[in-house]
Amino acid sequence: MRTADTYAGDFPDLSGMPVARQLHWQRWLAAAAIVLVLAAIGRAFVNGQIEWTYVGRFLTAKVILEGIVNTMVMAVLAMALGIVMGVVAAIMRLSPNPVLKSVAAGYTWLFRGTPLILQLLLWFNLALVFPTIGIPGLWSARAVDVMTPFLSALLGLGINQGAYTSEVMRAGMLSVDIGQYEAAQAIGMGRLRALRRIILPQAMRVVIPPLGNEFIGMVKATSLASVIQYPELLHNAENIYYANSRVIELLIVAGLWYLLVVSILTPLQMLLERRFARGTLQIGR
Amino acid sequence: MKHLWFSVAFAALVGTGAQAAELPEAIKQAGTLRLTVNSTYAPMEYRDPASNELVGLDIDLAGELAKRLGVKIVWSETPFAELIPSLQTKRADFIISGISDRASRRETADFIDYLTTGPQFFVMADNAAKTAVDLCGKKVGTTRSTSFPVEIEKWSKANCEAAGKPAMQYVPGENSIDVRNQLKQARIDAAVQGSETLPYAQSQEAGKYRVVGEPFAIGYQGIMIRKDDTALREVVTQHLTAMIADGSYKAILEKWGLGANAVEKPMVNASTQ
Repeated sequence: MRTADTYAGDFPDLSGMPVARQLHWQRWLAAAAIVLVLAAIGRAFVNGQIEWTYVGRFLTAKVILEGIVNTMVMAVLAMALGIVMGVVAAIMRLSPNPVLKSVAAGYTWLFRGTPLILQLLLWFNLALVFPTIGIPGLWSARAVDVMTPFLSALLGLGINQGAYTSEVMRAGMLSVDIGQYEAAQAIGMGRLRALRRIILPQAMRVVIPPLGNEFIGMVKATSLASVIQYPELLHNAENIYYANSRVIELLIVAGLWYLLVVSILTPLQMLLERRFARGTLQIGR
Repeated sequence: MKHLWFSVAFAALVGTGAQAAELPEAIKQAGTLRLTVNSTYAPMEYRDPASNELVGLDIDLAGELAKRLGVKIVWSETPFAELIPSLQTKRADFIISGISDRASRRETADFIDYLTTGPQFFVMADNAAKTAVDLCGKKVGTTRSTSFPVEIEKWSKANCEAAGKPAMQYVPGENSIDVRNQLKQARIDAAVQGSETLPYAQSQEAGKYRVVGEPFAIGYQGIMIRKDDTALREVVTQHLTAMIADGSYKAILEKWGLGANAVEKPMVNASTQ
């Protein structure tokens, strides 16, 4: 049996030597360069034509805070509508029934194929096509009373989101091994029950990261509803600068709030991911 | 007598000619004026639907000015609310874009007022309202990026609330087209637009709208020039004065159906609001 001693004569014993620390001078150089560039940009912002007192004053203005609440309410509701529509569309898309399949494909095609802002403007101006809407004989109302900026924004954002979410959900369902479908069938589960009990719970693990991504996108997409007078964050910030001409100051205010909201959402997504991934191997947390 | 007037006018011309203001060096050297407009405000400035050319009263006026200055214009476009930032960031040498002279906009720029204007109530032709007071308590829409929301509130305070009538309810719109669309859908009962844009809007959709009352606040539209750009302000004022004197100004206004909105001479920061 060979021991370390056997080699003592051939190789110098390095075990007692201190390990030299690498200097990584390139990292230091790069970091210094980045800090310098950031400082220069920061300085430009401080010295530029920006009156920072306005940023401070309006950061917590009532109108701005109301705007954030409206932004979040709209983002959550539209996303909820989007997920419901997306799940339904994905299930229809993967069904063997050709009618359901084509309806789902058509839905995705139509709402993914036109710009979101165009859809919002169409919903808002729906009364030009349907002056009154309702159920014949039961109930009817002027379209403009129903299609408030709130509802127009909710339908526009939610239905558009559903078209994208359906593809995310479809990917999630396809990621579940075909054996799981077969096993569910073998123990006598119907298609819908198998989806609910077996497939969707497993698909959730896969769809959470892209859905979190889409939700963060939705928070910012609500700003498009400003053009149909939904009083979200950007709309309210604009109203302030229309009155006092402090454009860049108010845009900075809105930008800071969007960043804050997204910074809070990111760790929440992590928690959600962990919850749905329990019981599986967690890779790359 | 006529001769005397001519010689006086000539003397005046020579007089100003002697001390004629010079274009700023940078513009002279470049040979171009960089101007920014918000082209959603027919007939002041808009894109011709057939040719996609930028046309309008402001475009013609600026064109005539540039011709006299011997420079070319490079146009750029921006949303209405970004006009003033464009001037501040020197993206534009000056702004001529249907913008009303208002004290609140004079912090960084001066206005050379060249056209009378005023907010004007209008309704769908079949609306029952006879006078503006009939619109008290009704939903009145206008473009939210303009000075009109404040004007409506002021007018409503003075004429509706002071008379014990309910206040007008302001409804925001994105631009004039959006506001007229809201009017057509009965989302709003009445709308407000600058009086200088209504004849054109009415010519596009004949018989659809009816104006109610007179413009309810008299103001001016102005060319915005940075406060520190005094040389440019002098040059523009001089040439505008000359254009008014020789009738070319009036001809441009007539061409766009706005001869009645002419001013007698360019004025600096003359609006009282």
